[in-house]
This record gives sequence, structure tokens and C-alpha cells, in this order.
Amino acid sequence: MSNGPLLSDLERLQLNTHDIERRKAFVDFRPDDLSRIAAIKDLVVHNADRYGVTFFDHLAGIEEAAGLTRNRNLLEQAKRLKHEHLIAMVQGDYGREYMEQRVRLGVLYSRAGLDVRVFLGAFHVLMRAVGVDVMKRFAAAPADGFESFISLKKIGFLDIGLIVDVLIAERERTINVQQDAIRELSTPVLQLRERLLILPIIGVIDSMRAKQLTDGMLGSIRDKRARIVVMDITGVAAVDSKVANHLIQAVAAARLMGANVIVTGVSADVAQSLVALGVDLRSIRTMNDLQGGLEEAERMLGYKVVYADGASPAFGRA
Amino acid sequence: MVAEETYVPIDRDGDIVSARQKARELATHVGFSGSDLTLIATAISEVARNIVVYADHGEIVLSAVQRAGQRGILVIARDEGPGIPDIERAMRDGFSTGRSLGLGLPGARRLMDEFEIVSEVGKGTTITMRKWTR
Amino acid sequence: MPVPILKQGDKLIASLQSDLDDKDLMQLKDEIAEKVGRFKSRGVILDVSILDVLDSFATRTLRTIAETARLRGAETVIVGIQPDVAVAMVQLGLTLDGVLTALDFEEGMELLLATIEGSHHGGG
Repeated sequence: MSNGPLLSDLERLQLNTHDIERRKAFVDFRPDDLSRIAAIKDLVVHNADRYGVTFFDHLAGIEEAAGLTRNRNLLEQAKRLKHEHLIAMVQGDYGREYMEQRVRLGVLYSRAGLDVRVFLGAFHVLMRAVGVDVMKRFAAAPADGFESFISLKKIGFLDIGLIVDVLIAERERTINVQQDAIRELSTPVLQLRERLLILPIIGVIDSMRAKQLTDGMLGSIRDKRARIVVMDITGVAAVDSKVANHLIQAVAAARLMGANVIVTGVSADVAQSLVALGVDLRSIRTMNDLQGGLEEAERMLGYKVVYADGASPAFGRA
Repeated sequence: MVAEETYVPIDRDGDIVSARQKARELATHVGFSGSDLTLIATAISEVARNIVVYADHGEIVLSAVQRAGQRGILVIARDEGPGIPDIERAMRDGFSTGRSLGLGLPGARRLMDEFEIVSEVGKGTTITMRKWTR
Repeated sequence: MPVPILKQGDKLIASLQSDLDDKDLMQLKDEIAEKVGRFKSRGVILDVSILDVLDSFATRTLRTIAETARLRGAETVIVGIQPDVAVAMVQLGLTLDGVLTALDFEEGMELLLATIEGSHHGGG
């Protein structure tokens, strides 16, 4: 299990001392719960193996838990961790290390794709097994047995809270990763011919997308060794001064990498309004339509001589 | 994670490189992406350079910070140099006119997420910058 | 640490290493100026692909190197600016206006050849 996601989960879950105290308060955990838990400590430790089996046997019978139960590697790790957890649950030390242990198990469950509801059901089955044993042991003093069990359940709910938080956090992370991928896919860079890339941009450009576009374009310039990029913004929803500045910066960065950028799809209206807004369009070369831009690009690529007729050089002059 | 503070004394131009390297290390530890590492190192290079050029001596303090589940880096650049007489003018963004910036301050501000500057003539300058992971 | 400058025919090639401090950059500037004059070089390639930061001082110095070389009859091409570095430079408002840039050493050489040849034929 890599450290990266684990650390960020811990940070995001804010497992500092304050947060741990709040979690204990949520389940109404009090000092006298400690002694009640201590009263059933040996019982739980003695039967820890059986409780683990109960937990995983239950999961084995649930189709939706196949991601965990049919993955031998993850299952072995989970069984080991679960056993350690059960022991730790009755030791009375519920600080940061205890919480981290729970988070680790939560990350494992997430990796196995374990559904929250399935996890809750299995946890309940486990606790019931413990409860049955506790009541048997305390048959002569059922009220005490019940209290001890309740105290233990508080810790159980503490654990559930953590594991559910981790499962949710991991799901959010996956969604973010997927959203990033979608954003990237939505702006392909096309290689028209050697040294020439076309970047058709469609939709709204906010600063996050602008950064993605720029990074993507620069990466393609490097990978495809492009000397000219035709950036077509016909499909861009609204070209205001912010968007224009993003474009200007992208063009400037490309130039530093030796590539010229021709921006096409700048209608007369858009050009006028940008100039009126005070945007300096001189730093970028614009053409009305894609066709014109491509012709210009090919013309530029065809030139060997740099200073003839004041025509534009084929290479990036920064 | 305890926020460790790294102090980098800035006396000579060689210290600018140290400040960049230490910042890069800390920012990597915090979990910043590659491109953010470059932005942070560049912003620090600029403010560190200002210290060397204008104040002779100062320090840069780097630390990891956190807010509402987001991790980030805090950079404090301080010196007891001559101070900046007209902060507003120094911070005016001349980017769109393409003029090169004297102190690189508006540029550094663009590279970071948060930027504060306190300066008093004759007393010195303190620049506080933060950048957050996404 | 001084930057090694190689002579290849009528061209000079310098690969900048990372962690160059200001003194190293100034030294590079002087050495290139001296060598261009001594060898009557026609072109200079400065490879900055290792650099992870190009701040205002470095950018200014690169520009100065190119200007000085041009005064002595050599064209300079800066090659290898990485995407992240380019983005940071632009956000900082740093430009290399008037200086030739290319993607890498190969592109830089081609550009130099075209430029040097061009200036041979160019003009009225």
C-alpha cells in the first residue's frame, strides 16, 4: 500500500488530537467506559480468531464483497489487520496510532471496492458474535455484561465512523481523477503533419482548463517536436479579456519552446471587443478561420530562409 | 504531520539556489505536482534575489501548512533592508505591457495562491506567500 | 561551477547545469563573449534543458549573452526550456524577446544553420 493516498487521507480526515476527542464525544465515550471494556478484554482477545472468521465468512457469502473475498492478496492483508484491530479494540488506548490503524484498513477496503453497506452489515455480525459471548460470560450479572458490551460498541462506532469516512474520501478522490481524465480527453491535440499540430478548443475556458490546455499543448510540442501549433478557438464559448490573457500566455510559453502559435477562429467581432478591452493582440498571430491558419502554417514551414522579404520565419522567434 | 520550519539565511546569491532547493524538497514532501514545484521554486528565487540585491541579508522560512483538509506551503521572506517606499507601485502589474518587472513581486504573486507584503522604509520587508495543493 | 563550452566548427555549444548561481552565469557570459571573439564563431547554442528554474536574473543574463554574441557576429539559440519552466517564466512576465529559441539541440542546430545561411543571403 503506497504512502501517498494514505497520508493525504489522514490529513483530509484531520486526525489531530482535537478531532480524535470530537470523535470520542460523538459516541459519548467516557473514562468509565475504559474499565468496562477492560472487564471483557481477555474474552475478546481469546476469541479474536473466531470473530475474524465470523466477519469474513459473512462477507464470503455476499456477492457484492467479491472484490475483497476473491482477491487473495487483499483478503490475507485484511484478515491480518482485522485480527490486530480486534485486539487493539480492547486495549484501552484510542489515540492517533489506533486511528491510523483503522484508516489503513479503510484504505484497503476501498481498494477492494467494498461497499459501505456491506461493510456495516459484516461489522454488525461480528459485534453480535461478541455480544453473545459477553452475555454468556456475564450470565450471573447481565446488567454488567450489557454495560461492558455497550462500552465496547462505542469504540465499534468510532471505528465505523473512521472507515466510512475513508471510504467516502477515497470515492471522492476517484471521482476527481476521473473528472481530470475527462477534461484531458476533451481537448485532443492533433498532428496534421510533421512539425504541425492543431489544437481545436471547444467550450468554456476557465483558469483550470486554460492551465490544462497549456500544459497539454506544451507537452505535445515537446513530444511531437512541433514548430507550429494552430490553435482554433472557433468553438470557444466566450472570449473575454481573461480568456485572451490565458491564450496570450500559452502562446508566449510555446514560443519559449521554439514553437510558433497561430490562433484561428478569431472573428472580427471578437477581435474588436478584445482590442476595446485593452488586450494586446500583437503578441499573437491570428487568422479568421482554420483554413487560413493552416495555409499560413504550411507557408511558414516551407520557408528555409529567415530574413527574406520580411516574411515570417519558420522557427520560433521568441 | 507536524509543520516543520526550515530557515534559510540569505546572504549571497548562492543562498538563492539553496532556498530554491529546500523549497522544492519541502513542496515535494507536501505533495505538490511537478509544475507547481517549478512555480514555487521560481517565486522563491525572485523574493530571495530581492533580499540579496536590496537588503544584503535576510532569511526565508519555509513550512508545511494545512487548512480544512488541504495541504500547502508557507513561505516567509524577511529582511531588515531599506524597505519599499511605494508598495502599490511595486505591486502594480505591468505584465500586459510586457515591461520587465523591477522587483518581480507581481510575478511572484501570480505564481503563488496567497501573497502579502509588509514593508517599512528604513525597517525592512516581510513577504508572506502560500500555495495550496489541489 | 563553470559551464563547459564546446567548439564545433564555427559554433559554440554550452550546456548549463542545474544550480548555477549568479557568479556562474556571469562567468558564462564573459567566456562566451571571449570565445566568440577569439574563434569568430557564427553561432551559439545554450542548452538550458537541465534547469528547473529560469528566474529574472537568469533570463536577463541569457538575453545579454545573446546580445553580446550578436554584436560579435554570432547568432544565439536558447534550447531546452521545459514546459513547466516556460509557464513559470510567462507568469513572471519574463520574455526572451529578440532571442531565438528552439525545442532542443537538434532543432537549435537546424535553426542556427537556417539563420546563418539566411543572413548570408538576406538583406538587400
